[in-house]
Amino acid sequence: MIAITLAPPYLTVQDTGRPHSRSSGVPRGGAMDAFALQALNAIIGNPLDSAGLEWALGGGGVRFQRDCFFAIGGARARATLAGRTIASFRTTRARAGDELTVEHITSGRFLYIALSGGIDVPQLLGSRSTYLPGHFGGFNGRLVARNDSLPLGTYPDSPPPEGFACSPELLPRYESAAVRITRGPHADLFSEQAWHTLTETEFSVSTASDRTGYKLKGEAVSGAAGTLPSDASCQGAIQIPGDGTPIVLMADAPTVGGYPKIAVVAEADLPILAQRSPGEPLRFQLVTIEQSQRALKRRASDLYTIGATGAASA
Amino acid sequence: LKAVALGDSAITIVLGTERTADLLNRAHVTAAALIAERLVGVQDIVPAYLGVSVFYDALHTPYGEMAAKLLAVCERATTSPPVPENAREHEIRVIYDGADLAQVAESCGLSPEEVVARHSARRYSVDLLGFVPGWAYLSELDASLQLPRRSQPRPRVPAGSVAIAGAQTGVYPLDTPGGWHIIGHTEKVMFDASHDPPALLRAGDFVRFVHVP
Repeated sequence: MIAITLAPPYLTVQDTGRPHSRSSGVPRGGAMDAFALQALNAIIGNPLDSAGLEWALGGGGVRFQRDCFFAIGGARARATLAGRTIASFRTTRARAGDELTVEHITSGRFLYIALSGGIDVPQLLGSRSTYLPGHFGGFNGRLVARNDSLPLGTYPDSPPPEGFACSPELLPRYESAAVRITRGPHADLFSEQAWHTLTETEFSVSTASDRTGYKLKGEAVSGAAGTLPSDASCQGAIQIPGDGTPIVLMADAPTVGGYPKIAVVAEADLPILAQRSPGEPLRFQLVTIEQSQRALKRRASDLYTIGATGAASA
Repeated sequence: LKAVALGDSAITIVLGTERTADLLNRAHVTAAALIAERLVGVQDIVPAYLGVSVFYDALHTPYGEMAAKLLAVCERATTSPPVPENAREHEIRVIYDGADLAQVAESCGLSPEEVVARHSARRYSVDLLGFVPGWAYLSELDASLQLPRRSQPRPRVPAGSVAIAGAQTGVYPLDTPGGWHIIGHTEKVMFDASHDPPALLRAGDFVRFVHVP
């Protein structure tokens, strides 16, 4: 078990989401930066889809009620364990009774904490992810709060040693402003001018952004087609409503929608976008679907490398 | 019939460009054919007004290969019978006591009893699911009952509320904000995350509302 001694304003249980329930109107959901959560799981020897904590908007504390390996990463944060500073993407060993304190997040938005055995809340529709709008999944379908105790799953047989860190070149380039996109299902409805705006001008994430979608700030993408008959959307879809302000759909976005989708963010670069804070620059770079899928494969092989290196050093 | 990429892990098969009842029906038939085919790597199948979207495992099947497989199945499905093989008919018992029933009757120039009779007289088809988990857009509402949405959406509509707006009707599966006119409620559970599939209805199914006096 772990106990929350002080909760940040946003704290949920997330894993890699629900891949099979869109036809029932259930969004994929899962971690906003699914790569960070999976990399942390790989580092501590968990299955990649183990549930961890998704943490945002402030500091807080977690007390370990048993000995445990854990790792933090994603957003950068100043954090200590029993008073000693801990590093990101590195296994740390906690003793029963130790307290992890996240003082504050210094850059990025979503901090992940993966713990050996994962957070063992019930699976619903193949996932332990919290879906707040539907009040289901995760820890009783709600934000984790102060004094909540969360159960941990079975400890992995051979966790990597304390201090095992994944090499930084295997992580997304969070500091990069470039985000790759592919042509969306309604790409042809947009003029050359609109495409020029999308790919040649700079955007930033606005403050009107949450797990459902990130509204962008920048030049309006002109010539939007109004609304279309609803069709399926996906994480990373860039939709253009009538006013030309792009909205990128994120983890909890509805499964169908009627705004034209000009482009879709490459899955490999979704972590970079998810971790963008309001005001930070963002540039979209058009690639082919083949290039985008290659980048996705690369991420999967990076996760494999992280896990295999950790296991080899155990 | 053409395939377009919807990001790295989904493909939309576009069946047409005009939203018609026939095209929607074709989308349901095509989705049923794709489900029956059980293609390796396919994770989710979402029919909508102009086509069907398929989510797949792109780590094992690249776009070109998956698009070709899907198109082959969809081509064959164009000769399928016009009703999806897996379509079901659901009866949903409704107590017509909704907060907006009187207002709806007045706006339509009908008595509340006539609104109830016309709403419960038809068989509706499930157009698509979305908006929130388990929400099904049902068509087509009697022309005399078609009203624009409420000008003031409610911040919370209780689960089980039976509502109408435009040419469609539906049942709120969860407590959510909503702008449709509430004409009644049902005890039927429309969405339960502990069941798989969690939604009572599936696109292509049929629904009858049964008036419980």
